[in-house]
Amino acid sequence: MMKSRVLWTLAAVFLAAANLAGQEGAAVNGYARTKAGALLEDASLFLSETTLDLRLSYRSGDAGFFANPVLYEREGQTEEPVLREAYMDFRGESFDLRLGKQQIIWGKGDGVFITDIVSPKDLSRFLVPDFEEIRGAVTGACLDLYLGSHALELVWLPAFTPWTAPAAGSLWAPALPFPVTPTFESVVSPGFSLDNGEYFARYSFLGESFDLALMGGWFWNDTPGYTVTDKTFVPGVGITALTVRPEYYRTAAAGYAASGAMGPVILKSEGAFYGLRRYQGNPMIYPDGYAEKYSLQYMAGADASAAGFTFGIQFIQDLILDHDPDLVDPELKTTMTFVATRTFLRDTLTAEVFTYMGLDPLNALVKPKVTWDATDALEFFLGAYLFLGDEGDFGRYDSNDGVYLGAKFSF
Amino acid sequence: MNAHANRVLILTATLFAAVALHAAEPSGTEIMQAVYDRPQGKDVQGTLTMTLVDSKGKERVRSLRQVTGTFASGEKKLMVFLGPADVRGTSFMNWSYEEAGRSDDQWIYLPALKRVKRISSEGRGDSFMGSDFTYDDLGDRHPSEDEHRVTGSESIAGEDCWIVESVPRDPKDLYSRTVTWVSKKTMVGVKREYYDHRGALLKTLTISKLESISGVWVILKTEMRNVQKNTSTRIEFSEVKVNSGIPEDEFTERAMTRGL
Repeated sequence: MMKSRVLWTLAAVFLAAANLAGQEGAAVNGYARTKAGALLEDASLFLSETTLDLRLSYRSGDAGFFANPVLYEREGQTEEPVLREAYMDFRGESFDLRLGKQQIIWGKGDGVFITDIVSPKDLSRFLVPDFEEIRGAVTGACLDLYLGSHALELVWLPAFTPWTAPAAGSLWAPALPFPVTPTFESVVSPGFSLDNGEYFARYSFLGESFDLALMGGWFWNDTPGYTVTDKTFVPGVGITALTVRPEYYRTAAAGYAASGAMGPVILKSEGAFYGLRRYQGNPMIYPDGYAEKYSLQYMAGADASAAGFTFGIQFIQDLILDHDPDLVDPELKTTMTFVATRTFLRDTLTAEVFTYMGLDPLNALVKPKVTWDATDALEFFLGAYLFLGDEGDFGRYDSNDGVYLGAKFSF
Repeated sequence: MNAHANRVLILTATLFAAVALHAAEPSGTEIMQAVYDRPQGKDVQGTLTMTLVDSKGKERVRSLRQVTGTFASGEKKLMVFLGPADVRGTSFMNWSYEEAGRSDDQWIYLPALKRVKRISSEGRGDSFMGSDFTYDDLGDRHPSEDEHRVTGSESIAGEDCWIVESVPRDPKDLYSRTVTWVSKKTMVGVKREYYDHRGALLKTLTISKLESISGVWVILKTEMRNVQKNTSTRIEFSEVKVNSGIPEDEFTERAMTRGL
């Protein structure tokens, strides 16, 4: 029944596309994709998903409109229509203005989000989906000013959009940083008002031998802090009950991103200094359950091509300044990423492996994927995500190893 | 007439003879330098349709808009893919420089990731979009990279051509040698053979349509055939405009993300 509804929608879209095709400036593109995945541990089917992703655009002179509605159908769940983007844009001689719901992507890293501070992330399935599906959208205004190879981007978001957390009880629900399972009060989110606006700015330069971007923002942290509002302490036993209130809070960040060519190698780096953010700690030490700390994140990496392969390596560190031993997060967290890609058969077969590796403790997420373009419109893919280690950001999902396969039809 | 006057007369006659011979039959290096120096236009833009044919005759088509401009800093090129659907909107920018040994700057924009990424330009021998052309085949190769010699003359499709053999100075080059048929009239290479490092013929490039647009010879139809794999790639260049005054700031991150 569900699949047939997607097919009917697809048929309707083709009819609409045929109609729109006659309109100058209008375009309908997108893809239909079906995907199924099973856990390696017990071969249970945990993913059966059909997606219809539409890209509708219309342009008349300097003004245009773009919408990206997506319809997800997942086994055992109700249909989930999502409007990933919907904005109007105006193009001037030396400026672009976009108004509406839009993805704003910053940074030079692959699979890391140090200076990608504008659009929130959808981590409902951790880092398993393709990166384009992990990035969310924000609602507001984005103004780009251009002078040759220099650009200044100014972003104003009157409405806050938080991250998408894994559902409680799902495979990807993270371990909570509390000694006992807490009782949650209602989430405190910033309302829609001028006072609650978020502001970002980025200067970027693309030039001979190197590219540079400098950015900053004053915004609401995409993930909430948890304020302890009540606790029960039994001497000799410890905390036996805890009530917490998830709260979004203001913070700020300033950073850079750069890349440049050195012979056959592309060197890249990005880093950011974050304003006060809330780190959960021992509720007996911290009455509110957290401490506010400044932090630094930085990445250095390199990309290169050799023997038909494209390789990439990144070294990432996350440092909490003025760290206390009673905080849940460590003072320094080091992660590395590796990627290798190779195409075969006149670019119709692509093999890729992307790996995240945490160094302390040693744990990893390995994502191999093979894609075969059967025709220009139809591709088949087969992939896996393998969690190695027993603890750490990736090892904690050790029992979630899975494989998936699917087909995608682009139009 | 004294001995000195005789020597002057003989030397002058020899020089005239050398110049006359020189005019009749230029060297391979002079021919390839003339090909390289042929007017290309300040800027050229058009739609490029690339048809990839596999060994079973199955065809795949890629189309893109391409803009090339020559500026004081060098040549800048921007390509935006129009199709097929899964690569639509992907763009590729290349800045190349006159300075010997200086690598190109290259960037790619993938619309799904909404990000412009600097990429390595060292994969010059890699296939361009799965075609029979390498990135190097599509670029202008400086004559100083090879040693050239004229091996004869031949008429190709009614065009009188010099046959020039070029051997790379770098023995690790992609090909062991190339042989080019250069039109005496247009100074365009109308046919080229590429030989592998075993000395066997690998690929043949032929140009089937050449047109003078705004005083510039533009290749409108060409085919690269890999004789060892029995595959081929046809390229057609259409809607061509030459010297339309494209400014240098058209070759920016903004142009990559919004398309042409």
